[in-house]
Amino acid sequence: MKIMVPVKQVAALDEDFEFRDDELDVDEDFLLYDLNEWDDFSLEEAMLIKEKAPEGTVEVVVVSVGPDRVDESLRKCLAKGADRAIRVWDDAMEGSDSITVGGILAAVAKKESPGMIFAGVQSSDAANGSTGIAVAAALGWPHAAVVAGLEYAPDANTAVARRELEGGTLQEVEVACPAVLTIQLGINKPRYASLRGIKQAAAKPIEEVSLGDLGLTPADVGAGVALSRVRRMYVPPKGRAAMIEGTPAEQAARIIEIIKEFKGE
Amino acid sequence: MKSGKKLSLSLNPSLKRLPHDMTAQALVSVALRSGDLYHATAVYEVADSVARVALDTILFEGRRDALTLARWEHTPAVVLQALVRLSDASVRQRVQRNLRTSGQTLAELYRTENSDALMTLIAQHRNTPAIVLESMAHESDSDEVLKAVAGNPSASATVLRILRARFPERFDAAIATHAAASPDLLEAVYETGNDYVRAAVVAHPACRRHLLTQAALSGNPLVLRQLAGNPRITAKLLARLARSRTLAVRRAVAGNAVLTPELVIALAGDESVGVRREIALRGDLPLSVLEKFARDDDHWVRQRAARNPATPVALLRELAGEENAEVRRAVARNPACPAELLEQLAHDDNGWVRAAVAYQPKAGAKLMKILATDHAVDVLSGVAANPRAPQALLRQLAQSGEADVRRGVILNPRASDTVLKSLLKDPYYLHRVLLVGNRTLKDEDKWPLLNDPDASVRFTAMRWFAGKVKAG
Repeated sequence: MKIMVPVKQVAALDEDFEFRDDELDVDEDFLLYDLNEWDDFSLEEAMLIKEKAPEGTVEVVVVSVGPDRVDESLRKCLAKGADRAIRVWDDAMEGSDSITVGGILAAVAKKESPGMIFAGVQSSDAANGSTGIAVAAALGWPHAAVVAGLEYAPDANTAVARRELEGGTLQEVEVACPAVLTIQLGINKPRYASLRGIKQAAAKPIEEVSLGDLGLTPADVGAGVALSRVRRMYVPPKGRAAMIEGTPAEQAARIIEIIKEFKGE
Repeated sequence: MKSGKKLSLSLNPSLKRLPHDMTAQALVSVALRSGDLYHATAVYEVADSVARVALDTILFEGRRDALTLARWEHTPAVVLQALVRLSDASVRQRVQRNLRTSGQTLAELYRTENSDALMTLIAQHRNTPAIVLESMAHESDSDEVLKAVAGNPSASATVLRILRARFPERFDAAIATHAAASPDLLEAVYETGNDYVRAAVVAHPACRRHLLTQAALSGNPLVLRQLAGNPRITAKLLARLARSRTLAVRRAVAGNAVLTPELVIALAGDESVGVRREIALRGDLPLSVLEKFARDDDHWVRQRAARNPATPVALLRELAGEENAEVRRAVARNPACPAELLEQLAHDDNGWVRAAVAYQPKAGAKLMKILATDHAVDVLSGVAANPRAPQALLRQLAQSGEADVRRGVILNPRASDTVLKSLLKDPYYLHRVLLVGNRTLKDEDKWPLLNDPDASVRFTAMRWFAGKVKAG
């Protein structure tokens, strides 16, 4: 049985940065790339199922859509124990929205035929929270979002997922399998890759998949077919924040006054 | 660290063995051969001018790397100084923010910068020399820059005096709380300041005594509270303030280091829990007060008595039987806790209490063996960090699946070379960073860490060897 884990290499920002000249994104020099935090948890969930099952019966396959630099994040997943890594890229994919990326990942799933797909709830940079669900929609599979607890045995017909809802409540749902689950932070404790794992991962191949391999054409992907596009990226004007002046005691007294004002006392 | 050039994950041949002649030149050669950004950063300080030119090609080849180094909290001052030579405003701005930037670099930047925003960064940097701050205090008209100067801990009394002469009262709040403020300046600030400023002045160690006497006449509770905490006030004044009807004032008296034994006893009977808790923290409590506190209604007062090394064993025994786990834990942490009580508390139902025993330097090998079978991570971490834990136990705990437990072993000053060597391949990079600085491990064992997949580990390892070359 196979568990497919779509992962994303996300970009983080320092406090100071510059935008590109076209004002559609941050200048690449200021971006720090790393594996999306949610994907650490979805990979770990897949690894826990694999390790609980008899050896060799569960295969964990990580998949990412992105250029060469994404290999670094895929190797991180391999170092943590994923069996295979697939990277899908074609320059035509540049500008694809999350729905299109979901469609690309679904095309990979059709080839790989996984028994389950574990995606992260969202990516920390784009924060659309839609890719995992888009995969389910493209495949016509059932899905459960924001999964904070999971009971699932390989090849079972159903899985029980505890979904995190508002106000600290959990909703327990039974999902028919195969299914797409989007995994929430805190569901488990992601492992660190061992040095041995890192060295072995360096020698493992990353399978590069093209559009053609997936039965897609440039016309199916990219900014041209995106249902949404970035018009502008900018830092909004500062709000009503003001520095409180004075000695520490004076500042504390002012903060108490403000709190009282807000409480209507 | 998320950025920087990748090092081949296969063992770099030049890093296989510790060089016989550990010289700056040898380390620079290793850095140049590896081409690693973090090796180059670490050896830059010990490299001569010719070698630095060669290292520059690794360090400043790409803007992305320069930006990363300018921001990184570990980048050595000498590399930051080299970075400002690049004509890149964003890099310079990051250097101005970096806490490791040296005074010399900041002084150079001051000579060339002219925007208020960048000047403010220099003005608030703790390494900015007083002479630069002096010049800013003289010349700047920017409120932001001047505020940053007044709040900079490196500002001298002269800087503060210039500010007050140019802008009377505008920066009084900052001056009143500044460690470098001189007695005359504080007096001037007190004369014109509001109650908040006056309160800060009377709390200042350089405040003149006659101002303390004058402040005692104030009716403002904040001024009196700050006065009550000042160890330079007279015993007579302290006694008067101890009778204040304001709880905050009495609590400040209770925390005053020069409290007389009579006042300690008097305040130990205070109706306010806040005052008693403050008194309970003192190290100079007489037996009568400890006995009283051991039976206080408030468990935090009892907890503090339980932690006090002067508390007699009979009282500790009583407190060890308490229902409140915080109190039992405090007994276990007490340096004077006898062996028999530690043994009793080692079997406590509460994991935090058992953890306190595990960390106790007085707990012997027998207790360590009992606690090493515990399931609670905090207990096992305590055993791992305890210098009295036998090496066999440490060897066992070094294999724990819990990072906190393994870290305990790494931090244990008695952990043997053999035990520590088994942790050199720990999956958690921070553990490998810690091992670089461990003095029990031999250099030949640390040398392969130069080839670590994590940039922070490679940097720390190369810094370790560069530091030895520099010291030699």
